[in-house]
Amino acid sequence: MGSYLRYLSENATELIFYAQQHFLLVGYSVALASVISLVLALVLHTNQLTPPSWRRSLQVGSRETALLFASAALTIPSLALFGMLQPLLGLGVTPSIVALTLYAVYPVLRNTLAGLSGVDPAVLEAARGVGMGPVRRMLRVQLPLAWPVIISGIRVAVLIVISIAVVAAIINGPGFGKPLQDGLARLGAVNSFNEVITGTLGCLLVAAGYEIVFALVRRLTTPRGIRV
Amino acid sequence: MIALEGVSKIYPKQSKPAVTELNLQVPEGAIVTLIGPSGCGKTTILKMMNRLIEPTTGRILLAGEDVTDANGDQLRRRIGYVIQQVGLFPHLTIADNIAVVPKMLGWDKRRVTSRVDELLHLVGMEPGDFRDRYPRQLSGGQQQRVGVARGLAADPPVMLMDEPFGAIDPITRERLQDEFLEVQRQVAKTICFVTHDLSEAVKLGDRIAVFAARGRLAQYDTPSEVLAHPADDFVAEFVGSGAAVRRLSLLPISQLELAEIVISGAGAAAKDRPVLSVDDAGRPSAWHHVPGSERRPALVTVPLSATVYEAVDVMLDGHAPVVVVVDDDGQPRGALRWDSLVADLRPNGQPR
Repeated sequence: MGSYLRYLSENATELIFYAQQHFLLVGYSVALASVISLVLALVLHTNQLTPPSWRRSLQVGSRETALLFASAALTIPSLALFGMLQPLLGLGVTPSIVALTLYAVYPVLRNTLAGLSGVDPAVLEAARGVGMGPVRRMLRVQLPLAWPVIISGIRVAVLIVISIAVVAAIINGPGFGKPLQDGLARLGAVNSFNEVITGTLGCLLVAAGYEIVFALVRRLTTPRGIRV
Repeated sequence: MIALEGVSKIYPKQSKPAVTELNLQVPEGAIVTLIGPSGCGKTTILKMMNRLIEPTTGRILLAGEDVTDANGDQLRRRIGYVIQQVGLFPHLTIADNIAVVPKMLGWDKRRVTSRVDELLHLVGMEPGDFRDRYPRQLSGGQQQRVGVARGLAADPPVMLMDEPFGAIDPITRERLQDEFLEVQRQVAKTICFVTHDLSEAVKLGDRIAVFAARGRLAQYDTPSEVLAHPADDFVAEFVGSGAAVRRLSLLPISQLELAEIVISGAGAAAKDRPVLSVDDAGRPSAWHHVPGSERRPALVTVPLSATVYEAVDVMLDGHAPVVVVVDDDGQPRGALRWDSLVADLRPNGQPR
């Protein structure tokens, strides 16, 4: 225990740097995924790109197809995905963000679609009945009411991506993956176990940080009338 | 005034039309109740009036203007719309819910605020208490009051109401109906009101439109005409066996010939007329003598402004064969006898 604390204090600057990197890596990826999912969900919710007579899973532009692809992306082993992106995008930050974005799309997309279709049809009918057009209906009514569900999808995405992000270290990505993998590679050597512990605890720390952020965001962005 | 001319609706992939060649004129300032069995297309007809559902053929006229091809959203801002599930926006305050249409129409802030307060007063809710609340903090009846206020917000000449009191408990429903009639006396809108409840249609409607399957208008007339003279077998069956009793609720006591009564102590006791004891203020206190009954029956009274239905109700309730009709000051004006009510119910003056 004493030696671990000494390790922490000797490497403090480096560890804080890892924490920053990890936090931002997750932040960028999930933010990107959220924008993609939101746009995709809005388009899917209003448009059907192929005729409705086609089988649902074959329809381009159906929510089923989009969810199928997004969930397929989630099942790709992370080690393999990072490896496959390396020839295309090289090493470092860019391929890391791209891969993590792919993983974050599914939870956000799924919750956004669920949130939008979970809005009480009577409320939408009333909105149409008082003369709101489609855009106003979406922005003033449907999106605000779906927002709590969308937010919780983003939160799930953050939690998933925090743990997957450590794998980014194999392509020289940023974050706590680096101490973790260094430690694992030379287990038994000096400080190796400390590095493994630090990588793990670091992820928990980042997750805790995001929980605080989400508690605040949810509080500030959920309209008072639908806060539970 | 809103009118449908030759309106039909054929839903895609269905061979039979949901509504066929319908002509319906709703006169200015009147409440027309649309009634019919489930699936007769009454809601479809209502929704075609503000083009939530587009008619397949025919024309829609709003105050003489052909709005069949007008911009639907703009049109709907000129027509109030109230639905059974209310559909208040849960994330907006009561004030913001009511203000939706005025804001879309670009009213300035002060005008919107004063209109919201005016409407809350109109539907019997204290603005100070309710303005900043949210829909989920309100009871079902209060929510529907706000729904009606939202429909009235931009002062539209026409209101469409789709079973607005359908999901509310019977006691509150009755009160909302009375309040609604009171509001209508003040605002005098042209109102189309869909309901499946015949008593509601009779109570609220200046005219009733009875629809048969596929939106066929079976009868369009005043409530008493529909009850007394159903146009065909379908209407007769729909109006059903309760028609005679329902008609009583349309007949005010003030239109009846009342039996003369004698105040006790004032001259000779009349054998053939009921004699009533009164208190110092001249209000009835007990029966002194009622011809044709051995024991003196219990004293029941009913105001002159009530309907025959209510008179029958108090008679049944008090086991009394005769009821005293009193005016606003509590003075007896005459009596209504059970046997004569059953034998020859007729308005004073002209026999029916």
